[in-house]
Order: sequence, then C-alpha cells, then structure tokens
Amino acid sequence: MSLELETTKSEDFVSTDEISLLVIILDTNPGQRLLRENPQTLTQCVDSIIAFGNSHLMQKSQNKLAIMACHSKTSEFIYPGASKTLDIRQIDGQYEVFTLVERTIKTNLHKIIATENTILSNESLLAGALSMALCYIHRIQRNKPPGCKLNSRILVVTGSGDSAFQYMSYMNVFFTAQKQNVVIDVCALDQHLSLLQQGCDITNGLYLKIPQLQGLLQYLLWVFLPEPPIRPKLVLPPPVKVDYRAACFCHREMVDIGYVCSVCLSIFCKFSPICTTCHTVFKMPGPLAVKSKKKKMKL
Amino acid sequence: MADNGLSSSQQVNNVLIQPSNLECKNLYDYLTTRPQNVLERLYNHPTICLAVYRELPELARQYVIRILFVEQPVPQAVVASWGHQAFSKEHVYVSKVLSNLFVWQEASIPGGLPGWILSTTFKRNLKIALLGGGKPWSMSSALDPDNKARDITFLDAYSAERWECVLHYMVGSQQQEGISADAVRILLHAGLMKRDEDDGSPVITRQGFQFLLLDRQAQVWHFVLQYLDTVEQRGLDLAECLTFLFQLSFSTLGKDYSTEGMNQRLLVFLQHLREFGLVYQRKRKAGRFYPTRLALNITSSQSKGVHVLEDVPKGYIVVETNYRVYAYTDSNLQVALLGLFTDLLYRFPNVVVGILTRDSIRQALRGGITAEQIIGYLTQHAHSQMLQNESNHALPPTVVDQIKLWELERNRLVYSDGVLYSQFLSQADFNVLREYAQSSGYLIWSNKEKRTMVVNKSGHDDVKKFWKRYSKGN
Amino acid sequence: MVDEEDAKEYRWETGYEKTWEAIKEDDEGFLEASVTDIIQRAKRKRQAQKLPNTKLGMMRHLYLLLDCSDSMSNQDLKPTRLYCTLKLLELFIEEFFDQNPISQLGVIIMQNKRADKISELTGNPRKHIKAITTLNRTSLIGEPSLQNGLNVALKSLKLLPSHASREVLVIIGSLTTCDPTDINTTIDALKVEGVRCSIIGLAAEVHICKQLAAETNGTYSVILDDSHYKDLLFQHIEPPPAAVCLDSSLIKMGFPHQMVTEGTDEPLTMCMCHVDSVEEGSKLTTGGYYCPQCCSKYCELPVECRVCGLTLVSAPHLARSYHHLFPAPSFKETDYNNQSLICYSCQKSFTDLDKHVYQCPKCERTFCIDCDIFIHDVLHTCPGCATNPAILQSNSD
Repeated sequence: MSLELETTKSEDFVSTDEISLLVIILDTNPGQRLLRENPQTLTQCVDSIIAFGNSHLMQKSQNKLAIMACHSKTSEFIYPGASKTLDIRQIDGQYEVFTLVERTIKTNLHKIIATENTILSNESLLAGALSMALCYIHRIQRNKPPGCKLNSRILVVTGSGDSAFQYMSYMNVFFTAQKQNVVIDVCALDQHLSLLQQGCDITNGLYLKIPQLQGLLQYLLWVFLPEPPIRPKLVLPPPVKVDYRAACFCHREMVDIGYVCSVCLSIFCKFSPICTTCHTVFKMPGPLAVKSKKKKMKL
Repeated sequence: MADNGLSSSQQVNNVLIQPSNLECKNLYDYLTTRPQNVLERLYNHPTICLAVYRELPELARQYVIRILFVEQPVPQAVVASWGHQAFSKEHVYVSKVLSNLFVWQEASIPGGLPGWILSTTFKRNLKIALLGGGKPWSMSSALDPDNKARDITFLDAYSAERWECVLHYMVGSQQQEGISADAVRILLHAGLMKRDEDDGSPVITRQGFQFLLLDRQAQVWHFVLQYLDTVEQRGLDLAECLTFLFQLSFSTLGKDYSTEGMNQRLLVFLQHLREFGLVYQRKRKAGRFYPTRLALNITSSQSKGVHVLEDVPKGYIVVETNYRVYAYTDSNLQVALLGLFTDLLYRFPNVVVGILTRDSIRQALRGGITAEQIIGYLTQHAHSQMLQNESNHALPPTVVDQIKLWELERNRLVYSDGVLYSQFLSQADFNVLREYAQSSGYLIWSNKEKRTMVVNKSGHDDVKKFWKRYSKGN
Repeated sequence: MVDEEDAKEYRWETGYEKTWEAIKEDDEGFLEASVTDIIQRAKRKRQAQKLPNTKLGMMRHLYLLLDCSDSMSNQDLKPTRLYCTLKLLELFIEEFFDQNPISQLGVIIMQNKRADKISELTGNPRKHIKAITTLNRTSLIGEPSLQNGLNVALKSLKLLPSHASREVLVIIGSLTTCDPTDINTTIDALKVEGVRCSIIGLAAEVHICKQLAAETNGTYSVILDDSHYKDLLFQHIEPPPAAVCLDSSLIKMGFPHQMVTEGTDEPLTMCMCHVDSVEEGSKLTTGGYYCPQCCSKYCELPVECRVCGLTLVSAPHLARSYHHLFPAPSFKETDYNNQSLICYSCQKSFTDLDKHVYQCPKCERTFCIDCDIFIHDVLHTCPGCATNPAILQSNSD
C-alpha cells in the first residue's frame, strides 16, 4: 500500500524536465576596486565560477553552459569559446566534461589577460556583455530542434559599479530579456548596483549583494543554482524594492519631478528652452507660478 | 462469521484486472531494490554518484548541493525551512527518496535534535566528480591518435544498425544473422520473447510489442537492466559493470577510449555492449573503443519529451486530423510497427500511408498495447513539421482523444476486489453496517431489498471489527 | 498602393511582383534557402526605411475607428472579419502600450450609420481589451458612417494639448459610407487640427479613404490575407513622424518611488485609483507609488495624478521608448570573404553558406544576418558598440 502511495506521489512531483541554458558573465575588469586592491581575488572568483558552472551542468545531462568574461575593453566568451575544443584525457576522478570546462576557461581567460594593455577604467561594460549574451541565447533558441523547450538565464557576477552612462543599453537589454523570457540574475560582489537591480526586477531575476567574498561559491550554489521554475518552492532572498526614479540627462542625478521633452523623451531636472538631446526649441511654459512652485518642492 | 448470520465471500480477479504490462523501472526504482551494502559499494565510484545525483528529484538535488560542503549533520528542521511552506509535501517525499537511496542518513546533533548527514562515501565521490581528485576512471588512459578515427555519423549509423538488428529479430523479420545466442537469452529472460510451444523458436510476446513502441533510450535502458539481472550468473561483478556502464554514459561522443587496465571480466562485458551497438570497436583486440549515442546518458530515458539539443534522429510520422498517417520511411521495421495499429493503405519507396481506424486501434489494444503507448510512439517519431505547428501538441488533439476514447470503450467495466456481506438478520443491522461502511468510504455497492453489500478488500477488516463490536453491544 | 497620378498603367497592369522570378533553386534543387533569403531581405528593407533622427510623435493619442457594420460579418477572413480583427486588435493593443507606454488609445465603433465611443482615451490596455472583447456579441447591422466616426474622434482629439500627436486608425470592411453631410469638410477639419488618419481596408481600395489618408499624411492600405493584415496593423505600433504643426514642449512629470525606509513596515494606505470605483473598491494596502508632488498613492503606473494632475511615470516607461529615437546604426552588408571567423555577438562560425555578413559602421564588428535582424528588431543596441568603451564614451557625450 505504502509503495503504491509513493509511486502516485512521485508522479505529482515530476520535476520540470526542461533543458536549461545558463550564461554567466564574470566581470574580470582589473579596474574594479576588488581586483585593484587584491588581484588574488580573481583566482578565487574564477574557481568559484567554475565550480558553480559545473554544478549547473551536473544538474541535468542536457543543461548548457556558457561563460563570458567582461574585461575592461572587450567582452569574450571563454566557454565554449571560439577555438576548437581541447583534447582532454582524465587525470583524476573528475568528470571529463567538467575538466574540459575548467581547462577551457583558464586557457581563454589567460589569453585575454595577457593581451590586455592596462588602461584602468573602473566601470565594466556589462550592458554590452549582456547584449552579446542575449544574441548568443537567441541563436541557441533559434537552432534548437522543434518541440524542445529551453529555459535560458543570465547570471552577472561583478564587483564594479553601474552608472547612468550605459543606461540606454541596459534598458534595451532588460526589455529584450523580458520579451525573450530570459531571466537576469545579479550577484554583486562589492557595490550595490541599482541599475542591474532594476534589470532583475524587470526580468524576475534574483539580486544578491554578497556580504563577504569568502563564501562566494556557497552563495552562488544556494541562491543562483535553483532554476527559475523551482524557485517558488524554495525560500530565497526576497525581492528588494527597486527605486525606479529616473536620472536626468543634464546632471545624471536622480529626480523626483522632472521635465520630459515631448519629442525625444529626454529627462531634465530644470526647464531649459532648448532640448540638448534633439535640439528642439520649446514653447515657453505657462505661468511662472509653476516654476516657483517647483523650486519650493526642491528645497 | 456464520454465527452472526453473515457470510462473506471474496472475489479474486487479479488476473482479469491487469493485463501484465511492460514494467519500466528507472534508475531510482532499480537502486532502491538493492540492499544498502551494495549501494555503499556502488557509491565508491564517482560516476555512479553523478548518475544517482542526476536522477534525484530537483528539490533533492538542491538539498544535496547545499550540504555537500558541510561536514556536520544539519538539523532536519533547518533543511525543512529551505523549502516553501506550500510545498511541504514535496519536501517530505524528497527526504524519503534521499533516505531510501542512503544518500543521506539520520544523525543526531549535539543537543538532541534530529539531523541529516550525507553518506560519507557519496559525499566524497560526488565531490571528486565535481571538483577533481581521486583516481582517474578506468577507461581514460592516454591513447595515440587513431589513424582511422571514426566520426559521429559513422557511429550513429553503426549503433542504429546494431540495435535495429535486435529489434528486427524480435519482430521475426527473417534476418537471423548478427544476433548471438546470448542476446536471445536476454530477450527470453526479459519476457520480451518466449519459446513457441510447438517448435521452440522464440516468438515475440505482448511485452515485446510494448517494448518496441518505447523510444530508443528507454529500450536500451530496459534491455540493459535485464542484462544486469543476469550479469552475476555470467560471473561478472555487478558493481563493476554498473560503474563501467555509467562511465560510458558520461563519455563524449566521437572520442576514443582505451581498454587498457580493464580486467578480463570487463572486456567480456565490453564485447556484449559491442554486440548491441553501445560501443564501437574495430577489432576485438583493438585496444580502443568508441561509445555510441545509445550508451550516452543511458539513464535519462525517463525524462519524456526531452530532446537532446544536438541532432536527434529525425521524426518521420505525420498524423493529420483526418486520421491519416504518413510515414516517411523505408525501414521494414518501422512499417511493421506502424502496421500494429494502423491500416496501411499504400506503400511507396520512401513513404507509407495508413489510416487510424477504430478497428485497427482496437486490434492493437487487444494485442495488449495501450493507447498511451500508441500516442507515445506517434509523438516520439512525429515529423519535425508536426512539432513546429503547435508548440505543445505534436499530434492533432482530436486524434489523441479519439484513440483514448477507443481504449476507454473497452474498459467499461472496472474491477475492484471486494467482500460480499449478505444474509443480514434485520434491516436495521444492514442499515447500521452500510452506514458505517459508507461513511468510512469502504462501500462499493449495496442493495437494500436483498440486504447485501460489497465493501472493498482493505476495508473488510475494519468493517468486520465494527460488526463484532456492534453485535456484541446489542 | 500605387498613386493614380504617377502610375502609367492600371493596378492590374502594373508590373506584377514577379515573386517566382526571384526564387532560384540551389545546387541540390531546394528552394528553401532562396525563400528564406527573400524573407530576410524584406526584413532588412523595413529596417533600412527607418531613418534615424527624424522627429517622432512620441506622445501618441490614437483613436481606433472600427467598422462594426454588416460587412464585417463577411467570412473572407476566418472565422469572420470581425472576429479576426478583434483577435488581432488584442495583440495590437498590448504591443502598442508595450512600445508606447506614455501614449493613449481610444476605441470608436461605426455601426448602423452611427458612431459610438466604446472606450475613452486612456493609457490602460486592460480597459480597451475588455471593451474589445465585448464586441464579440454585438450584432453587425447597417452601414458605417465614416464621417460620424471621424467627428467623434476629432471632437475629443481637438482638446488635447499642442504637443500631443493626434492619430486616427480606421479599420473598415465596408465599401460604402453613409454620411449626413459632405465628408470633405470633416477631412479639412482633421487637416487643420493635424490629425493623422490611416486606414486599413479589408475589402478593396476606396477613393474617399485614399483621399482621407493622402490629405492627412496617413497611410492607406488594403489587406491581402490575415497575415498581411497583421503586418499592416503592427506597422502602426512604431510612432509616426511628428506632424508639422506639432509643438514641442517640456512636460512636467513625476517619478514616484515606493516609500520604503529600511527596517520599517509601510503604513497601510488607500490608493487613489480605486477610491471611487464601484466595482473593486479601495482596499488598504502597504505598497504603492506616491505622487512626489501631493503624496497621493496609486497602485499602477503610468497614471495622471487625480489630485494635482501631474503625469506619473517610472523611468523604464520612458526608457522603453528610447530605442525609437536612438536606433542602433544600420549595418553594412558586405560579401563574406573571411573578414572574421565568427559572428561577434552570437559566436556562430561563418561558413561558405553565409554569403553576406553585416558590419556595424561604428565599431566595425562583423555580425551574421540573424543577429543583424535581432539587433535591429528587438535589441536596439549594437553589442559591438556597447562593449567598446571609446564608442560608448563618444555616444554619451
């Protein structure tokens, strides 16, 4: 009897048998504060990412993995990588696919770092890397055999900050991801990332700023390994309230009340007669009272 | 009983209820039937740990990975708190699976709380598979590049040919060569074929037909399980064979592996696998072998509807809403299989046209094939054009429903085991007992006039007890 | 549609689009490659038509004028013209608000010589879809009156501020219109007010529709079949070029944020949007968006503050529209001769099958055709430029 019960139960709990594609974007920009202060950190991050990526592959035999390095001047796929696959023979008890992942990543990353001439910028071009990842996902989705379902998601692991100057690219990426049903997860190592947090909110991803770098792998495995379909079954960090205020185009400051150009939708914090973005000349606004009122508000 | 004026009779009609269907076990079912010490021994191999891990339910995999790096036992309450309240049933189920497989064991934590701890062997070897360390797998010795390396297309063609040889033999296509007595023995052992009463030649059984309708992966897995049953009689070591099988299943297609360091028993095993097309070897003593697609991911057969991202064998069947079936194939085997449940109308060099009719389906159902299997077969081999039309239904829903209805037509009677209560002395007695049986959900049927009732078998004891109590009280 | 003035022959005599001539068999005698090529070419052509830096009417106010006359029961579209239209309109409305989040839409039906407004000009897609779905049950009777319909639309579009883009989209199945007076006066009035009228005809070309579209700078097209219908309809999702008389101005907008102070629960409050609605009633809730000017709460954005009249939006709403204004640069098509081994963005390795590759004029990266289409249709950001700090820097300056 109990045996019968069990079989019926297992029918109910059939896990989602869908293939999952995970694209990890690792920020390797040497300009970020973490790496400037202690270059060793990179090794630790890469090791954690490799172990995490392999854990993802370990979940299901058909799971797919791609890893990108977002460097200061370029973004590149370091796994599977453009060059042909290495010929790997096992040296220890590790599953040979995992060994291949590890070797490929290390070789390709080494190449990137070696060719890099050091112009330090402390902001990584994550939006660009994300857009590449979306193109990659789009290709895989396009080429999959008919009738097979593939869930895709992107995990960004970064220690650098995000500023408004990539704002438009970020927004394009987020809305594209939302349309394509790609979940964007973000693991912030160092600074709080308000723009990427918006991306997580838009695409229903998870955002986590890890309290300490030591336990990176453990955080990754706990929070980011579960696939979006089973996330509701687990207790994970609650979504944070996201600040959706806009940054004005003139000073890149957050504004509560702004002026929006009716032609190009640029946001300004003060009234100006000419739009700096599209060079439209505006009609003068109505009564002066509006202006003074606004000043009062700002105080 | 008789002294109460109550008689009960049992009906046993088990035979009638279920036509013996092909029983497909997955890895979990297979492993749970093994004793703990065998499992412990199996867990000594990283490959098996990896395979077992992948077969776990999704939630269980998350639990295992979370405590993979934890050395102390984790309180059960803590583990339970990882899952959401609403899914607590699933949590209980998952915990049971993990305990059944001895992946984790109960352990008490200082302070007396019950906790879970991963089996040390399992933990160690899963870590090795994931992160490295330990000894290399037995088939990974270095090899010189093969001067006659085989590519994937060749391997696919080879394995398909070998496997179809077995299937052909089963449907009795006259192609007798290329199949060994050993393979026949396994088919007989698995009950897929049986000796004909007259001349002793093997003929296909009902289960055999059902086997043919499974998808390729499931066929291989079922066949291998049957093979493993007989493995010890052949003087092979079960753990060794399983380990090797999973190593194969985790190997890379199109890559050659070395036979160096394999003992005699494993080499025999390898030759068996070679016969069924799971591995390719140019010569018996070649020193290297290529795993084929049949051997890869051998356990993932249970995940229905999942296609491998890489090129899968192309589907060839188109089903139209007017019940016409077009099969773009020239293989006799595939035509024969289709003929099991369709009326074939025309046959051309590369296409067969048939029609699904009530008679053809019923004939198949009488033969012991279920509607689910027919639909499964058609879906499995649906032409890619069919998959593109509607993302969720490969087959026209009308056809699917109709096939199911045709099956239901045959099952108008539902059999259930029961115990008959009759010859009640008074209507009141009858009413009381009927009331009781009904309220506890045991009642199957009752007739007031004749004062008879049938309760189901599991409720019999309970009802009997109640009756005894009741009649004593009176 | 070919203009009568400059066409030298009748429509039926004009060089028929000889689509079959473009199709060539490949080496193995298959047509597929050639057909996909034509499709992709068509896609690229549409891209090329988009000119950057044209002034667009971003704050759109669009009235859908829907024919609900007898002629809509015709079954040339399956199952009927009306049913097919309603299904497409549902998709259209959702996509319209997805792409034009700060725009407004209204629906007017023309039936039995009358015009009825079934949903007012608002920015709430759900309201419109609800109104549209109820149309399933209307009885299709009489003739439509184009003039009455246009007048109803004009009456409410007239009142809008001068920076708003005013549009009417007519979907008409009838070949006749039954008007009370001269329709030309209405067309003149529309012209004066700068209302752009576009028409999609479901039957055949009608002179008055063509004239209406020509006079008001709209487009007029007649559908071939249902997929063409969808294409035509969805072309109206892109914001049109701004009308000449459109004033530009700076509009004051509020960007509400949720009131959260770390560690404390939000107070229970009522939202303004449901405060006087009979159906749902206002409930006390914690979350919500607060008008930065008067602190009244709303549960959804974008919305116009009922108390102080400020338009409340969130930054992503505006950002959703930016790509219309700052599209990714058009890529140059070049023949493939081993410029690059792989497509920069999707990592596809080029083979001899790829006859053309596409190059971004700014960052000079090479892309495959699929990425080219994906980047321009969906993503709107060139991955090459976005990963190049120098170009990004120069863009933002």
